[in-house]
Amino acid sequence: MSPHTPVTADEESVLTDITGMLATLLEDEYGLDDVEIGMATTFNRDLELESIDLVALAGLLEERYGGRVNFAEFLAGMDFDEIIELTVGRLVEYVVTSLKAAEAS
Amino acid sequence: MVDAGAVRLHVQRTGPRDGRPATATVVLVHGLLTDSLASYYFTVAPAFAAAGLDVVMYDLRGHGRSERPASGYTLDHNIDDLEALLDRLRVSGPVHLVGNSYGGTIAFGYAVRHPERAASVCLIESEPATESWAVKLGGILHRVVTQLAHNEPDALAWITAHRGHNTARLARGAARLARETTLGRDIPASRVLTEDHIRAVRCPVLGVYGGDSDLAELAPWLESLVPDCRTVVVPGHEHSVLVEASGTVGGAILTLIDRASGARAGAAAR
Repeated sequence: MSPHTPVTADEESVLTDITGMLATLLEDEYGLDDVEIGMATTFNRDLELESIDLVALAGLLEERYGGRVNFAEFLAGMDFDEIIELTVGRLVEYVVTSLKAAEAS
Repeated sequence: MVDAGAVRLHVQRTGPRDGRPATATVVLVHGLLTDSLASYYFTVAPAFAAAGLDVVMYDLRGHGRSERPASGYTLDHNIDDLEALLDRLRVSGPVHLVGNSYGGTIAFGYAVRHPERAASVCLIESEPATESWAVKLGGILHRVVTQLAHNEPDALAWITAHRGHNTARLARGAARLARETTLGRDIPASRVLTEDHIRAVRCPVLGVYGGDSDLAELAPWLESLVPDCRTVVVPGHEHSVLVEASGTVGGAILTLIDRASGARAGAAAR
Protein backbone atom coordinates (compact mmCIF):
# COMPACT_ATOMS: atom_id res chain seq x y z
CA MET A 1 0.00 0.00 0.00
CA SER A 2 1.56 3.24 -1.09
CA PRO A 3 0.98 6.53 0.70
CA HIS A 4 0.38 7.94 -2.81
CA THR A 5 -2.76 5.84 -3.34
CA PRO A 6 -5.58 8.37 -3.03
CA VAL A 7 -7.63 7.95 0.12
CA THR A 8 -11.37 7.48 -0.34
CA ALA A 9 -13.64 7.84 2.63
CA ASP A 10 -15.92 4.91 1.95
CA GLU A 11 -16.33 1.76 3.97
CA GLU A 12 -15.14 -0.64 1.32
CA SER A 13 -11.84 1.05 0.53
CA VAL A 14 -11.06 1.73 4.20
CA LEU A 15 -11.73 -1.95 4.99
CA THR A 16 -9.34 -2.89 2.17
CA ASP A 17 -6.68 -0.54 3.61
CA ILE A 18 -7.04 -1.87 7.16
CA THR A 19 -7.14 -5.52 6.06
CA GLY A 20 -3.85 -4.88 4.25
CA MET A 21 -2.28 -3.31 7.35
CA LEU A 22 -3.40 -6.21 9.56
CA ALA A 23 -2.10 -8.77 7.05
CA THR A 24 1.31 -7.05 7.10
CA LEU A 25 1.32 -6.98 10.89
CA LEU A 26 0.28 -10.63 11.30
CA GLU A 27 2.87 -11.78 8.82
CA ASP A 28 5.72 -9.65 10.25
CA GLU A 29 5.07 -10.46 13.90
CA TYR A 30 3.57 -13.95 13.84
CA GLY A 31 4.44 -15.35 10.41
CA LEU A 32 0.75 -15.77 9.55
CA ASP A 33 -0.32 -15.23 5.95
CA ASP A 34 -3.76 -16.84 5.68
CA VAL A 35 -5.92 -15.03 8.23
CA GLU A 36 -9.39 -14.04 7.05
CA ILE A 37 -10.38 -10.57 8.11
CA GLY A 38 -13.82 -8.98 7.83
CA MET A 39 -15.94 -6.32 9.53
CA ALA A 40 -16.92 -8.66 12.40
CA THR A 41 -13.36 -9.82 13.16
CA THR A 42 -12.23 -8.89 16.70
CA PHE A 43 -8.66 -7.73 17.30
CA ASN A 44 -8.33 -9.55 20.60
CA ARG A 45 -10.10 -12.89 20.35
CA ASP A 46 -9.99 -13.55 16.58
CA LEU A 47 -6.64 -12.03 15.63
CA GLU A 48 -4.98 -12.61 19.03
CA LEU A 49 -3.34 -9.20 18.77
CA GLU A 50 -1.63 -7.84 21.86
CA SER A 51 -1.87 -4.19 22.82
CA ILE A 52 1.68 -3.59 21.57
CA ASP A 53 0.52 -4.83 18.12
CA LEU A 54 -2.16 -2.14 18.22
CA VAL A 55 0.61 0.45 18.72
CA ALA A 56 2.13 -0.82 15.45
CA LEU A 57 -1.31 -0.58 13.80
CA ALA A 58 -1.59 3.02 15.04
CA GLY A 59 1.69 3.75 13.20
CA LEU A 60 0.40 2.17 9.96
CA LEU A 61 -2.86 4.15 10.22
CA GLU A 62 -0.91 7.37 10.68
CA GLU A 63 1.32 6.57 7.69
CA ARG A 64 -1.77 6.08 5.55
CA TYR A 65 -4.12 8.80 6.79
CA GLY A 66 -1.81 11.30 8.51
CA GLY A 67 -3.18 13.39 11.37
CA ARG A 68 -6.78 12.92 10.19
CA VAL A 69 -7.07 9.63 12.10
CA ASN A 70 -5.88 9.32 15.71
CA PHE A 71 -6.16 5.69 16.78
CA ALA A 72 -4.63 6.33 20.24
CA GLU A 73 -7.26 8.95 21.03
CA PHE A 74 -10.01 6.64 19.72
CA LEU A 75 -8.95 3.83 22.08
CA ALA A 76 -8.23 6.21 24.99
CA GLY A 77 -11.93 7.07 24.94
CA MET A 78 -12.95 3.43 25.51
CA ASP A 79 -13.09 1.31 28.62
CA PHE A 80 -11.19 -1.95 28.90
CA ASP A 81 -14.10 -4.23 27.94
CA GLU A 82 -14.85 -2.17 24.84
CA ILE A 83 -11.23 -2.55 23.71
CA ILE A 84 -11.39 -6.33 24.24
CA GLU A 85 -14.56 -6.47 22.08
CA LEU A 86 -13.26 -4.05 19.42
CA THR A 87 -14.00 -5.20 15.85
CA VAL A 88 -12.39 -4.28 12.55
CA GLY A 89 -15.81 -2.88 11.54
CA ARG A 90 -15.85 -0.40 14.42
CA LEU A 91 -12.39 0.87 13.44
CA VAL A 92 -13.47 1.13 9.78
CA GLU A 93 -16.48 3.24 10.83
CA TYR A 94 -14.27 5.46 12.97
CA VAL A 95 -11.78 6.00 10.12
CA VAL A 96 -14.57 6.79 7.61
CA THR A 97 -16.15 9.29 10.05
CA SER A 98 -12.76 10.93 10.75
CA LEU A 99 -11.91 11.22 7.03
CA LYS A 100 -15.32 12.72 6.23
CA ALA A 101 -14.95 15.21 9.10
CA ALA A 102 -11.52 16.22 7.75
CA GLU A 103 -12.95 16.64 4.22
CA ALA A 104 -15.76 18.84 5.53
CA SER A 105 -13.50 21.13 7.53
CA MET B 1 13.86 1.65 17.41
CA VAL B 2 16.54 3.60 19.23
CA ASP B 3 20.03 2.29 19.90
CA ALA B 4 20.47 2.84 23.65
CA GLY B 5 24.06 1.60 23.70
CA ALA B 6 23.67 -1.86 25.23
CA VAL B 7 20.28 -2.63 23.65
CA ARG B 8 17.89 -1.44 20.95
CA LEU B 9 14.72 -0.05 22.48
CA HIS B 10 11.31 0.48 20.90
CA VAL B 11 10.33 4.12 21.43
CA GLN B 12 7.13 6.03 20.70
CA ARG B 13 7.08 9.79 20.98
CA THR B 14 4.14 12.12 20.69
CA GLY B 15 3.49 15.78 21.43
CA PRO B 16 1.28 18.77 20.78
CA ARG B 17 -0.41 18.34 17.39
CA ASP B 18 -1.13 22.00 16.78
CA GLY B 19 2.49 22.96 16.15
CA ARG B 20 3.06 24.60 19.54
CA PRO B 21 6.47 23.85 21.06
CA ALA B 22 6.24 21.37 23.94
CA THR B 23 6.40 22.89 27.43
CA ALA B 24 8.33 19.99 28.99
CA THR B 25 9.20 16.32 28.45
CA VAL B 26 7.44 13.52 30.30
CA VAL B 27 8.92 10.00 30.19
CA LEU B 28 6.56 7.08 30.80
CA VAL B 29 8.04 3.83 32.12
CA HIS B 30 5.95 0.63 32.14
CA GLY B 31 5.94 -2.39 34.47
CA LEU B 32 7.31 -5.94 34.48
CA LEU B 33 6.61 -9.10 32.49
CA THR B 34 3.15 -8.53 30.98
CA ASP B 35 3.44 -4.78 30.46
CA SER B 36 4.57 -2.58 27.55
CA LEU B 37 4.40 1.05 26.46
CA ALA B 38 0.90 0.28 25.13
CA SER B 39 -0.40 0.77 28.71
CA TYR B 40 0.37 4.48 28.26
CA TYR B 41 -0.06 4.85 24.51
CA PHE B 42 -3.78 4.09 24.61
CA THR B 43 -4.54 5.69 28.01
CA VAL B 44 -2.86 8.88 29.27
CA ALA B 45 -0.45 9.71 26.41
CA PRO B 46 -3.02 11.43 24.10
CA ALA B 47 -4.14 13.72 26.96
CA PHE B 48 -0.52 14.53 27.90
CA ALA B 49 0.26 15.46 24.28
CA ALA B 50 -2.90 17.59 24.10
CA ALA B 51 -1.76 19.35 27.30
CA GLY B 52 1.37 20.50 25.44
CA LEU B 53 3.90 17.94 26.65
CA ASP B 54 6.59 16.09 24.70
CA VAL B 55 5.70 12.47 25.58
CA VAL B 56 8.38 9.75 25.45
CA MET B 57 7.33 6.12 25.88
CA TYR B 58 9.59 3.10 25.49
CA ASP B 59 9.53 -0.67 25.96
CA LEU B 60 11.92 -1.92 28.65
CA ARG B 61 14.58 -4.39 27.50
CA GLY B 62 13.01 -7.82 27.01
CA HIS B 63 9.50 -6.32 26.81
CA GLY B 64 7.15 -5.26 24.02
CA ARG B 65 9.06 -4.65 20.78
CA SER B 66 12.44 -3.92 22.38
CA GLU B 67 15.41 -6.21 22.04
CA ARG B 68 15.55 -9.15 24.47
CA PRO B 69 19.11 -9.86 25.62
CA ALA B 70 19.50 -13.10 27.61
CA SER B 71 20.90 -11.30 30.64
CA GLY B 72 21.26 -7.88 32.24
CA TYR B 73 17.95 -7.34 34.04
CA THR B 74 18.91 -5.68 37.32
CA LEU B 75 17.37 -2.34 38.25
CA ASP B 76 20.68 -0.62 37.47
CA HIS B 77 20.59 -2.04 33.93
CA ASN B 78 17.12 -0.52 33.49
CA ILE B 79 18.29 2.85 34.84
CA ASP B 80 21.34 2.71 32.53
CA ASP B 81 18.99 2.07 29.58
CA LEU B 82 16.80 5.05 30.49
CA GLU B 83 19.86 7.26 30.85
CA ALA B 84 21.27 6.13 27.47
CA LEU B 85 17.88 6.52 25.80
CA LEU B 86 17.40 10.14 26.95
CA ASP B 87 20.97 10.95 25.90
CA ARG B 88 20.33 9.41 22.49
CA LEU B 89 17.07 11.36 22.11
CA ARG B 90 19.02 14.52 23.15
CA VAL B 91 16.68 15.20 26.03
CA SER B 92 19.11 17.02 28.28
CA GLY B 93 16.93 19.16 30.55
CA PRO B 94 15.03 17.91 33.59
CA VAL B 95 12.18 15.52 32.73
CA HIS B 96 8.98 14.52 34.45
CA LEU B 97 9.16 10.79 35.16
CA VAL B 98 6.11 8.55 35.41
CA GLY B 99 6.42 4.89 36.29
CA ASN B 100 3.83 2.14 36.62
CA SER B 101 4.67 -0.63 39.10
CA TYR B 102 8.32 -1.66 38.43
CA GLY B 103 8.54 1.30 36.02
CA GLY B 104 8.11 3.61 39.03
CA THR B 105 10.97 1.86 40.80
CA ILE B 106 13.13 2.61 37.73
CA ALA B 107 11.91 6.23 37.58
CA PHE B 108 12.67 6.78 41.26
CA GLY B 109 16.08 5.17 40.88
CA TYR B 110 16.82 7.53 37.99
CA ALA B 111 15.85 10.54 40.16
CA VAL B 112 18.19 9.31 42.93
CA ARG B 113 21.04 8.90 40.45
CA HIS B 114 20.38 12.20 38.62
CA PRO B 115 18.60 14.65 40.93
CA GLU B 116 19.34 17.50 38.49
CA ARG B 117 17.59 15.68 35.62
CA ALA B 118 14.33 14.88 37.43
CA ALA B 119 11.66 17.62 37.46
CA SER B 120 9.09 15.37 39.17
CA VAL B 121 8.39 11.68 39.75
CA CYS B 122 5.04 9.92 39.73
CA LEU B 123 4.90 6.41 41.17
CA ILE B 124 1.78 4.51 40.08
CA GLU B 125 1.24 1.39 42.20
CA SER B 126 4.93 1.47 42.84
CA GLU B 127 7.67 2.02 45.40
CA PRO B 128 11.38 2.85 45.59
CA ALA B 129 13.76 -0.13 45.56
CA THR B 130 14.21 -1.03 49.23
CA GLU B 131 15.37 -4.24 50.92
CA SER B 132 11.74 -5.31 51.47
CA TRP B 133 10.84 -4.47 47.85
CA ALA B 134 13.62 -6.83 46.66
CA VAL B 135 12.36 -9.62 48.92
CA LYS B 136 8.77 -9.16 47.72
CA LEU B 137 9.77 -9.09 44.03
CA GLY B 138 11.96 -12.16 44.63
CA GLY B 139 8.90 -14.03 45.93
CA ILE B 140 6.70 -13.00 43.01
CA LEU B 141 9.35 -13.83 40.40
CA HIS B 142 10.12 -17.16 42.07
CA ARG B 143 6.46 -18.10 41.68
CA VAL B 144 6.45 -16.97 38.04
CA VAL B 145 9.52 -19.08 37.28
CA THR B 146 8.57 -22.24 39.23
CA GLN B 147 4.79 -22.31 38.78
CA LEU B 148 4.42 -20.69 35.37
CA ALA B 149 7.56 -20.88 33.28
CA HIS B 150 8.44 -24.47 34.22
CA ASN B 151 4.93 -25.84 34.41
CA GLU B 152 3.33 -23.84 31.66
CA PRO B 153 0.50 -26.05 30.27
CA ASP B 154 -1.05 -26.69 33.71
CA ALA B 155 -0.60 -23.12 34.83
CA LEU B 156 -2.14 -21.74 31.64
CA ALA B 157 -5.11 -24.11 31.85
CA TRP B 158 -5.79 -22.89 35.40
CA ILE B 159 -5.41 -19.23 34.43
CA THR B 160 -7.69 -19.63 31.39
CA ALA B 161 -10.37 -21.26 33.55
CA HIS B 162 -10.16 -18.77 36.43
CA ARG B 163 -8.97 -15.52 34.89
CA GLY B 164 -9.93 -15.81 31.22
CA HIS B 165 -8.32 -16.10 27.84
CA ASN B 166 -6.73 -12.67 27.78
CA THR B 167 -4.89 -13.06 31.09
CA ALA B 168 -3.67 -16.50 29.98
CA ARG B 169 -2.20 -14.99 26.83
CA LEU B 170 -0.39 -12.35 28.88
CA ALA B 171 0.87 -15.08 31.21
CA ARG B 172 2.25 -17.02 28.25
CA GLY B 173 4.33 -13.96 27.31
CA ALA B 174 5.54 -13.58 30.88
CA ALA B 175 6.53 -17.26 31.06
CA ARG B 176 8.56 -16.89 27.86
CA LEU B 177 10.39 -13.83 29.19
CA ALA B 178 11.16 -15.59 32.49
CA ARG B 179 12.46 -18.70 30.67
CA GLU B 180 14.54 -16.93 28.03
CA THR B 181 16.29 -14.43 30.31
CA THR B 182 17.91 -14.02 33.72
CA LEU B 183 15.25 -11.45 34.74
CA GLY B 184 13.84 -13.67 37.51
CA ARG B 185 17.24 -13.88 39.20
CA ASP B 186 18.49 -10.40 38.38
CA ILE B 187 15.73 -8.18 39.72
CA PRO B 188 15.77 -9.49 43.32
CA ALA B 189 19.58 -9.20 43.25
CA SER B 190 19.39 -5.48 42.36
CA ARG B 191 21.26 -2.88 44.39
CA VAL B 192 18.68 -1.22 46.66
CA LEU B 193 18.33 2.26 48.18
CA THR B 194 18.77 3.37 51.78
CA GLU B 195 16.23 5.64 53.47
CA ASP B 196 18.81 8.44 53.12
CA HIS B 197 18.82 7.99 49.34
CA ILE B 198 15.03 8.20 49.32
CA ARG B 199 14.98 11.32 51.54
CA ALA B 200 17.47 12.98 49.16
CA VAL B 201 14.92 13.14 46.31
CA ARG B 202 13.91 16.81 46.47
CA CYS B 203 11.67 17.15 43.40
CA PRO B 204 7.89 16.86 43.78
CA VAL B 205 6.81 13.20 44.04
CA LEU B 206 3.29 11.83 43.60
CA GLY B 207 2.22 8.33 44.63
CA VAL B 208 -0.96 6.93 43.04
CA TYR B 209 -2.44 3.73 44.44
CA GLY B 210 -5.55 1.62 43.94
CA GLY B 211 -7.66 1.62 47.12
CA ASP B 212 -7.99 -2.18 46.99
CA SER B 213 -4.29 -2.79 46.32
CA ASP B 214 -1.86 -4.07 48.97
CA LEU B 215 0.48 -1.27 47.94
CA ALA B 216 -1.93 1.47 49.15
CA GLU B 217 -0.54 0.98 52.66
CA LEU B 218 2.78 2.39 51.39
CA ALA B 219 1.24 5.86 50.91
CA PRO B 220 1.83 7.16 54.49
CA TRP B 221 5.37 5.73 54.56
CA LEU B 222 6.27 7.39 51.27
CA GLU B 223 4.83 10.74 52.41
CA SER B 224 6.76 10.58 55.68
CA LEU B 225 10.07 9.88 53.96
CA VAL B 226 10.11 11.92 50.73
CA PRO B 227 10.38 15.68 51.44
CA ASP B 228 7.88 16.86 48.79
CA CYS B 229 5.42 13.99 48.41
CA ARG B 230 1.68 13.74 47.96
CA THR B 231 -0.33 10.58 47.44
CA VAL B 232 -3.67 9.80 45.83
CA VAL B 233 -5.60 6.61 46.57
CA VAL B 234 -8.22 5.75 43.93
CA PRO B 235 -11.05 3.76 45.52
CA GLY B 236 -12.41 0.63 43.86
CA HIS B 237 -9.22 -0.23 41.96
CA GLU B 238 -6.29 -2.59 42.40
CA HIS B 239 -2.90 -2.84 40.70
CA SER B 240 -4.26 -1.95 37.22
CA VAL B 241 -5.41 1.53 38.27
CA LEU B 242 -3.47 3.21 35.41
CA VAL B 243 -5.39 1.35 32.71
CA GLU B 244 -8.74 1.13 34.51
CA ALA B 245 -8.94 4.71 35.85
CA SER B 246 -6.71 6.47 33.33
CA GLY B 247 -8.71 9.73 33.42
CA THR B 248 -8.22 10.13 37.17
CA VAL B 249 -4.58 9.02 37.10
CA GLY B 250 -3.72 11.21 34.10
CA GLY B 251 -5.38 14.24 35.71
CA ALA B 252 -3.39 13.76 38.93
CA ILE B 253 -0.15 13.52 36.93
CA LEU B 254 -0.89 16.72 34.96
CA THR B 255 -1.54 18.53 38.27
CA LEU B 256 1.83 17.26 39.57
CA ILE B 257 3.63 18.42 36.40
CA ASP B 258 1.99 21.87 36.61
CA ARG B 259 2.97 22.19 40.25
CA ALA B 260 6.54 21.05 39.57
CA SER B 261 6.90 23.39 36.57
CA GLY B 262 5.60 26.30 38.69
CA ALA B 263 8.08 25.46 41.45
CA ARG B 264 10.98 25.37 38.98
CA ALA B 265 9.98 28.66 37.37
CA GLY B 266 9.75 30.23 40.83
CA ALA B 267 13.16 28.89 41.81
CA ALA B 268 14.67 30.20 38.57
CA ALA B 269 13.18 33.67 39.18
CA ARG B 270 14.74 33.80 42.64
